[in-house]
Amino acid sequence: MTNGTAMKPLMEIKNLTTRFYTQDGVVNAVNGISYTLDPGEILGVVGESGCGKSVHALSIMRLIQIPPGEIPAGEVFFGGRDLLKLSEREMRMVRGHEIAMVFQDPMSSLNPVYTVGFQISEALMLHKKMNRSQAKVRAIELLNLVGIPEATKRFDNYPHQFSGGMRQRAMIAMALSCEPKLLIADEPTTALDVTIQAQIINLVIRLQEELGMSVMWITHDLGIVAEMVHRINVMYAGFIIERGFVDDIYNHTLHPYTMGLLGSLPSIDEAPGTKLISIPGLPPDLIALPEGCPFFARCTYRVEQCHQERPQLENAQEAGHTVACWRWREIQGFGVA
Amino acid sequence: MTELPPVTEEINDFAVREHRSLWLDAWRRLISNRTAMIGLVVVAVFVLSAVGAHFFWKYDAKMDLNYSAKLLAPNLRTTEKSTQIHIFGTDKLGRDIFRRVVHGGWNSLRVGLVAVGISLSIGGLLGLLAGFFESTDLNRRERTILMAALGLGLGALPAWIARQPFQAVLFGLLGVASSLLHGKTSKKSSPRLVEYGLAGALIGGTSGFLVGPMVALVCGLVGLSIGLLLARPVGGKVFSSIVMRVMDIILSFPSYLLAIAIVAFLGPGLEKGMIAIGVVGIPIYARLARSAVLSVTQKEYVLAAHSVGEGHGRILFKHIVPNILSPIIVQATMGLANAILSAAALGFLGLGAIPPEPEWGAMLGDSYKYLSSGAWWAVLFPGLAIMFSVLGFNLLGDGLRDALDPKMRV
Amino acid sequence: MGRYILRRLLSVIPTLIGVTLVIFLFQRLIPGDPAVAMLGEHANAENVARIREQFGLDKPAFLDRDALAEGDLPGFFDSQYVRYFGRLLQFDLGESIHRRIPIAETLKERFPATVELSLLAMSIALVVGIPIGILSASRRNSFLDGATMIGSLVGVSVPIFWLGIMEIMFFAVIMKWLPSGSRLSSGIVIKPITNLLLLDSLLTGNWVGFKDAFLHILMPAISLATIPTAIITRMTRSSMLDVLQEDYIRTASAKGLSERIVLFRHALKNAFLPVITIIGIQAGTLLAGAVLTETIFSWPGIGKWVYDSILGRDYPIVQGVTLLIAIIFLVVNLLVDLSYALLDPRISYE
Ligand SMILES: Nc1ncnc2c1ncn2[C@@H]1O[C@H](COP(=O)(O)OP(=O)(O)OP(=O)(O)O)[C@@H](O)[C@H]1O
Ligand SMILES: [Mg+2]
Repeated sequence: MTNGTAMKPLMEIKNLTTRFYTQDGVVNAVNGISYTLDPGEILGVVGESGCGKSVHALSIMRLIQIPPGEIPAGEVFFGGRDLLKLSEREMRMVRGHEIAMVFQDPMSSLNPVYTVGFQISEALMLHKKMNRSQAKVRAIELLNLVGIPEATKRFDNYPHQFSGGMRQRAMIAMALSCEPKLLIADEPTTALDVTIQAQIINLVIRLQEELGMSVMWITHDLGIVAEMVHRINVMYAGFIIERGFVDDIYNHTLHPYTMGLLGSLPSIDEAPGTKLISIPGLPPDLIALPEGCPFFARCTYRVEQCHQERPQLENAQEAGHTVACWRWREIQGFGVA
Repeated sequence: MTELPPVTEEINDFAVREHRSLWLDAWRRLISNRTAMIGLVVVAVFVLSAVGAHFFWKYDAKMDLNYSAKLLAPNLRTTEKSTQIHIFGTDKLGRDIFRRVVHGGWNSLRVGLVAVGISLSIGGLLGLLAGFFESTDLNRRERTILMAALGLGLGALPAWIARQPFQAVLFGLLGVASSLLHGKTSKKSSPRLVEYGLAGALIGGTSGFLVGPMVALVCGLVGLSIGLLLARPVGGKVFSSIVMRVMDIILSFPSYLLAIAIVAFLGPGLEKGMIAIGVVGIPIYARLARSAVLSVTQKEYVLAAHSVGEGHGRILFKHIVPNILSPIIVQATMGLANAILSAAALGFLGLGAIPPEPEWGAMLGDSYKYLSSGAWWAVLFPGLAIMFSVLGFNLLGDGLRDALDPKMRV
Repeated sequence: MGRYILRRLLSVIPTLIGVTLVIFLFQRLIPGDPAVAMLGEHANAENVARIREQFGLDKPAFLDRDALAEGDLPGFFDSQYVRYFGRLLQFDLGESIHRRIPIAETLKERFPATVELSLLAMSIALVVGIPIGILSASRRNSFLDGATMIGSLVGVSVPIFWLGIMEIMFFAVIMKWLPSGSRLSSGIVIKPITNLLLLDSLLTGNWVGFKDAFLHILMPAISLATIPTAIITRMTRSSMLDVLQEDYIRTASAKGLSERIVLFRHALKNAFLPVITIIGIQAGTLLAGAVLTETIFSWPGIGKWVYDSILGRDYPIVQGVTLLIAIIFLVVNLLVDLSYALLDPRISYE
């Protein structure tokens, strides 16, 4: 497990910023976020829809389309080098090889005109320099590993012959094919039904333990991450507004927004399908960010200072727990019990 | 730790973008799109000059003739050779090409509007109905009408053979009976093939007998098959597939070849050309309208309208038509371009406007034989006129598509 | 898969019958007495009788109810259309009114010229349109993309007969670089094998003939190719843009594949599906455009033949060639659908 102090981080992000130039104006999707990720750590990234979780992950992978996108500032140190400064060619050797990604919608993430097997083999042939038959053997192993029955037969299937859950398993097999050091899972279970969700989560936990990689698990469901992750980044409007170990986030919640997220967690006896996040109001327009705290408009604890100045992340009492709020000291104790 | 009272003032939901209406939004996008604006300007010049010339610049094509000014090159100043200014030159009959090009615009505009009008009104309506009834269950009245029409239509054949129009009416009634008797339970009860077959054979056979035994036999057989067909009330899918099959047939003639063939048999003339081009365009709008309707019939607002029991006609024209207008407008704009181009092709082949009527295609067809004498102006300017007017509509249509495409709406 | 093909094949039959019906109905559009319309006011009685016989004009159009009333069942079906259809089933397209030569015979001479022209035009359209479409999609909003969009709009807006005339004016009349019409210069002989002159001259190693045929076909092929090139370019571009937005493209990039492989392996095959449909439709544009192009360039194919026949009111030829073109068009679109099924695994397993 992680203890955060002695270990050299696997990835260190400093001041990562991503914008999009659109007809209506400049969308500030990610606004200077910094954090570290340790080897073998499972990091949860949570926040409402549209808060920049996916864009921040895609920026790490440099999969943002430029234009309209732009990464004007920031550093992403991974394996001793800044990914943002690599040539496109060098970056390709990182994608799928050192960092792999699984996307939200398994239905559309696989190419419909190629077999699943071929799409898994592709990465192996590229990064591991395998030939076709070696890649096939390995791909079948991988399909077995992620729990697809009759993997040999399934190798030659097209994506439309797979169910949603199986496709996501295949996506995971594809991502793990080159034994990446970091797996970014961008809401991999949102499109799946509840039982399949649990299976996929257990699968990733199992594989993480077996292979020892780090995982970044992006979701807007705090309930899911509680059981599996070690640390949590809470994002809002392209900022990290609170970060810490799971226990601290749940038991010593500091940011009003995080409280809102936790407060809206459905309890078990609530009907399924209840809207997960129900903080009143909407996130700010990313084109015209407020000068002060981005959460100001929806915050029940706001004061004049929140309107004037933007709070920066500062250390709270617990080790590794940081929060960006002017009033966290006062709020402490009002959190959900 | 100090007590911290939560702020009580109400939390306002800002950050909600101002709401803009679709059409205003589309217009804003259209005028901010440079190519669309160029298209709009070209179209405006074309329409204004054509309309203006027609009403305010008298031109009598039959009297326009001047052998002393044959095939003069364009001149911007009078010389001893050409006593008048012809900025586009003159043609083989000494007519001022500029004047004829401007007046030709009126004909092109007419052809375009009439042809698109024909295609759009017939094709659009057919496609609308086909799409709607393909996705919606017919209500009792509609089913009765459809079955009556089916009975009448099919019954027309034996009625014609036996010269007894009354027979068709009987078959129509048979259709009505079929729809009324098991309209509701059509899924459960197996169709009463025997009864209806017999009834059909009887209607056909007995009345045929009045003419002759052979007629009775044939009408009886035809009546039998009609009866079997009518035994089961059909849904809107049948209507839709009949319409679309007919459209397929028209579409199996490549683009304006069908128009050429129709006019070849009808004989030349601008009006005949308009009709031919219009007919050929029908399936395009029918297909477009049908697929557009199919894509909106499952939308919430349509389902909601159904569930509160609004009538089909009301749903169709209040909820569906407004929502399929944008692809149709785009297609109609491009269709104008196509119609002008096709009309010019007909005119060029000598199948369109009858000389000396000024029409761009016909002007080209008249003049291109004089190319070797070097009279480039006689073919250059009518051609440019066609190209620019067509290009204008195409640019506009392209811009409209970008402006009206809901996918682009953020 | 097999069932899909069979179903698709069967679905052509009713359409085909509908097509023959439409073409048959053409002759009923002729105002007045068809025989007189075809032969002119001053035709001699013998010729008029011949035309009446050829078209069965003394028979009713579809069914003879008078014959039936008299108890004559076979006579009931003896009508203009049934005769026409019966002849078609025996591959008899009728004969020319004026020259009295079977249409099928002239067709054998004329058809290869049109096929050669259309094939070359389609090749130009594909070779130019697809790469440019891909390139401008992958460089969206670049200068090249803008130029492509404007160029392709101009391409669909320019009347091809006018383009042909301008080509002749410039390259043949003013510069005298290219011949202005026909397939070959007089005096050049190419041994016929397929009757596609370019191919035949290559097969027989006749370089002089090849060069001459090539110079002759260049201008007509380019003007005929204009519209299909423009449309295929636009379609490739827009289809490519659609596909490039798809999630699986992001997946492919996330694997570390190079832009080139993502574009050509993952995007192109998907983007090509709608393009194929357009190619099929463009085959029709080519065949219809042949009437105009061949007329301008005096190209001895079926298009020019139709034009001449329209002027000469030789209606059976117009009917026969229109039918042939419609059938070719149907077959091409059938092939397009089948290849669609081969390329898209979602269809074949349906
Ligand atoms: N290509 C783009 N052009 C313009 N804006 C974009 C683009 N991609 C993303 N954005 C904007 O960036 C913001 C962050 O989007 P992002 O996809 O990261 O949200 P998210 O947190 O992943 O939400 P979700 O939970 O819905 O996936 C959004 O407001 C989105 O509108
Ligand atoms: Mg996301």
